[in-house]
Amino acid sequence: MEALNDLKLLRWSAVALLLVTGMIDLFYGNSFAGFYENLWYVMGGIYIFAALVIASNIEPHFSQLTVFAYALFLWSVWATVALETGTGLDVVAYADKAVEAVLAVNMLLLFRSSRTSVIR
Amino acid sequence: MTGSGFGTLSSVKLLTAAALIAISSGAVVGLSVGYVVHYSAPSTRTFYLFDGTLPFSERTFYNIPHDTFVPDTITVDKGDHVIIHYINIEDVSESHTFTMDMPYKFDATVYGNATQQGVVATYPNVGNIVLSQGQNATITFTANWAGTFRYYCVIHQPTMTGYLVVIG
Repeated sequence: MEALNDLKLLRWSAVALLLVTGMIDLFYGNSFAGFYENLWYVMGGIYIFAALVIASNIEPHFSQLTVFAYALFLWSVWATVALETGTGLDVVAYADKAVEAVLAVNMLLLFRSSRTSVIR
Repeated sequence: MTGSGFGTLSSVKLLTAAALIAISSGAVVGLSVGYVVHYSAPSTRTFYLFDGTLPFSERTFYNIPHDTFVPDTITVDKGDHVIIHYINIEDVSESHTFTMDMPYKFDATVYGNATQQGVVATYPNVGNIVLSQGQNATITFTANWAGTFRYYCVIHQPTMTGYLVVIG
């Protein structure tokens, strides 16, 4: 029972984090991005779509692993572009990436918990 | 999924593989974007702005003002922090405004003379300031919106108009 509650908590916190990251990305694209604003809209849109998928619990193992990889992928893209060009180094981007890092940890825990609960 | 081997792998192995693939492919994409785009990081750009005069008397030329901005174009990159030192160099008692098109607003500090001694007033987040003869102002804002936007003196239209060009 406790494991199920933990699973629910992790799932809904992941949904919340995905929505927050998505909204920040949309806001960033609209107000801050120095170039390729549309990419931020796409990234934000994907996060919001992912929030719906995680909330609906569709193919949970696949979707959780995919969202985990997607968060790390975007983090890696941002870090390398920032190092190379000096762009994306502002408060909003830092906040976005901080939430994204928490999201990656959350997805990792969720994936492990959901697989463990199935194995049990 | 189980048939493809996804279900038989341990969570740790799957997460490690996903993380490695995601981070390495992200780094490749990021490096490629940085290499292709050649985007320069936002920087601080400083300009000196003056009022100028066209060579005619405004009283004899259809009442068109002869005042202008010098320079009449300021070009920056999107994201740049812009500092404009605007000096009213009139030799007669005449005021000019510095007004910007929406959505731009700016912070301004107005000084009593060109040596920037004696702060007359400070204006946070405004779209318009007025400078009397001899006064100067330090105007600062961040070029967050790409496009062409007017800066102008509301008293001396249409001639006293300049353009902020923000390359996005």
